Amino acid sequence: MENDAVIQIRNLTKIYRDFWGRKKVLALNSLSLDVNKGEIFGLLGPNGSGKTTTMKLLLGLLFPTDGKISILGKEASNVEKNERIGYLPEESYLYRFLNAEETLDFYGQLFDMPASQRREQTDRLIKSVGLDFARRRQLKEYSKGMTRRIGLAQALINDPELVLLDEPTSGLDPLGTRDMKDMILKLRDEGKTVVMCSHLLADVQDVCDRIAILYEGELKQLGRVDELLKEQDVTQLLTSRLDDAVVRDIEEVLKKHNAQLKSIDHPTNSLEDLFLKTVKESVERPGRRFLPDEAAQPDASEGNGQSPSESASQTPAESGEQTSQAESEKPDEAQPAS
Amino acid sequence: MDFDPEPYELLPAVLHYIAAVGSLLFVVALVAVIWSLASRGRSGPAALIEGIKKGCRDFAQISPRRVWALSMLTIREALRRKALMVFVVFAVLFMFAGWFLQQATDRPDLQVEVYVSFVLKAITWLVLPVVMILACWGLPEDIRARSLHTVVTKPVRRSEIVLGRIIGFISVSTLILLIMGGVGYVWILRQVPDPSYLVSRVPIYGKLRYTNRLGDERNAIGLEYDYSINVGDIWEFRNYIEGGTKSRALWYFEGMDADDFDDKLIIETGFESFRTHKGDMDRGLLARLNIMNAETGLQVPLQPFTVEEYTQNLHEIPRKLQYFDEDTQDFREVDLFEDLVYDGTLKIAVECLDANQYIGMARPDLFIRLPDRSFFAGYSKAILGIWLMLSIIVVIAVSASCFVKGPVAVLLTFSFLILGQPFRSFMEKMVTGEQEGGGPLEAWYRLIHHLNTTSELPASLLTNAMKFIDQILLNFLWVMQNLIPNFEHFRMSPYVANGFDVPWSAAMLPSLVVTIAYLLPCVLIGYFSLAMRELESK
Repeated sequence: MENDAVIQIRNLTKIYRDFWGRKKVLALNSLSLDVNKGEIFGLLGPNGSGKTTTMKLLLGLLFPTDGKISILGKEASNVEKNERIGYLPEESYLYRFLNAEETLDFYGQLFDMPASQRREQTDRLIKSVGLDFARRRQLKEYSKGMTRRIGLAQALINDPELVLLDEPTSGLDPLGTRDMKDMILKLRDEGKTVVMCSHLLADVQDVCDRIAILYEGELKQLGRVDELLKEQDVTQLLTSRLDDAVVRDIEEVLKKHNAQLKSIDHPTNSLEDLFLKTVKESVERPGRRFLPDEAAQPDASEGNGQSPSESASQTPAESGEQTSQAESEKPDEAQPAS
Repeated sequence: MDFDPEPYELLPAVLHYIAAVGSLLFVVALVAVIWSLASRGRSGPAALIEGIKKGCRDFAQISPRRVWALSMLTIREALRRKALMVFVVFAVLFMFAGWFLQQATDRPDLQVEVYVSFVLKAITWLVLPVVMILACWGLPEDIRARSLHTVVTKPVRRSEIVLGRIIGFISVSTLILLIMGGVGYVWILRQVPDPSYLVSRVPIYGKLRYTNRLGDERNAIGLEYDYSINVGDIWEFRNYIEGGTKSRALWYFEGMDADDFDDKLIIETGFESFRTHKGDMDRGLLARLNIMNAETGLQVPLQPFTVEEYTQNLHEIPRKLQYFDEDTQDFREVDLFEDLVYDGTLKIAVECLDANQYIGMARPDLFIRLPDRSFFAGYSKAILGIWLMLSIIVVIAVSASCFVKGPVAVLLTFSFLILGQPFRSFMEKMVTGEQEGGGPLEAWYRLIHHLNTTSELPASLLTNAMKFIDQILLNFLWVMQNLIPNFEHFRMSPYVANGFDVPWSAAMLPSLVVTIAYLLPCVLIGYFSLAMRELESK
């Protein structure tokens, strides 16, 4: 085993059989891969591709039909490995009749932690996942996002070296998704190894260092995210805002060198960025509302032809001025030219 | 008293247990080796040994804190699933039971019996289904809801899960039982019209033999008479001695030590009368106790007494006894323990003094009565008996739930309960051949052909085949008889209801031994079932 390989999988095969032992599904076919220390590793694939099966084989919830798994130098069936592992299941399979404090205390006890350490960890984790306001509420009263947060907290109760996250962002709203992704990145910054499986590609792209793509139980791609996504036959330039004359000059230069210009445009933010920005502003400026007339009559708005009520509901930073402000806040984001 | 507490023979029971468990282990090991060879080829047995080693390590490394955590989780789960709703049924039952029970009988001792039996049975049959269902559904529900998946991804051993569940459910049943037992006790105190009948008598039972009407203690081939006259009662619990003859009932009490008694001995009798003619209907039959030295034959007759049926007849025997010596024609004084007890054995002969009348008696109808204990002591032991039964049910239910789903586990555990208590004697009769009519196939054959159970079957290939298959089924039944616990040991309510203390040897010891005996194998079965099970299997 390599020194920095936290997980080593060799020829892992899993066949689900029926009651009579007949082959039902080949869930995983001869999978081999390594996960290195301190990286965020993503297992990607459509539903039924074998990523959750891989995760459950790693945890010993399933037994392999063939092949070997080594986690933190121990076999998957070895219970002692779990002392250094944290696991967030796809659904937060927690006891719904417990509250947040009881949940974390219970899982802390399973790690044989003394009471003082459990209290300290429970308090710290509840605060870090933002559930301080609901620490005494039973989990059955929690929303999906809150359940995922307490699920993550229980996965971190033992300060694990390796964190396995099964669909960590599924069912979360964009804010929750952002928080989860931030927490995953923070875990890596703390030196932990993270393995996550997801079919939400944008989330994986945002946080993972390396990915494996599975399809019908077989490994189809494996490598660093940036290398796998890089298009070698396309060049992208990013500059600050250019005048039309400069753009025309650039086009001339490209023509001169027989380069094919594919597009020249202003970049757009992602929908996630827009959403997060809107929510952030709503928090900062309570009472602001979006008025449909503003969207329907942009010209009138620009011409200061608003009704008195509309004027009262908007701040000076909004409408046309808002765009320029956003651009000035993000000086690095300029239009691409290719 | 209509039941006969037999002392429990611990050593034969332990030897039988070792033989049964040893046989079972041998069969399981054989099946496991064959299975491992079939599934893994030549490396199978090595993997099997590794699995057993792993199991031993798992048990050696059990963490009390994790077991405690899982137990507490089980308790919280049970309480939050409204297990305590059973108290509502209990309360309703007790609010109205008094209306129906107080008119049951006029005799205060029978009233005590009715009230005590009702309370103990109500507690048993209210708590038992609740605890059984909780214990059977706990783990399968955890697996279905996948909350167990999160638990097993922590450093939790399967043995800790099984033990945690068992301890948790036993704790729940303890809590319910303590509350119900307390309420039941107060209810009995308030309901019983004469609290002086609430006692726990402590009896010492002897061995009962008979003489024939000529006074012979042994028959022609030298065997003691362990039976006497049957007056035609279909239930042969009591044997009868004939009045006006030398027919006697002989009780032998062993291990008598003067230091254990004050300067008197209290004997309690409860005989039945059988009259062949009316006689004096205003008085009961006359009987007499004779204290005898088993070696020298010295016999001291006591004052005759009237047999009062269905009540306690107490006889106080002073340590110093006077009797008329026929040889010296003078009164002599003897010491009960020095002159009449031989080698620790006291012999008491009972005779019926009314000619042509009969007195019926069984072994527990005459006993030496030690100082009474409080009713609370006996009642507490009966509650302890219920607790032991609940514990063994929890152990079986949790083990079953490790390899089958909730409904099947309920069915399995309930089958154990039914076969271990009401059907136990029937099963034993079937296995020993005492039950007439043969096995299931033969019984069907007899039904179809309208044959009674005693007539011979016609010899044919079909009947021979039937008998052969029946024998296989009966052998299977024999195995089941040895595997299923005898829940009769846990029935302690008759003692308390009849005003007796619960004896250690006849009741407490066997129930305790049976519970402990089933604990270890069940935990092992539960552990290996859970360890070999893919929790996420599709």
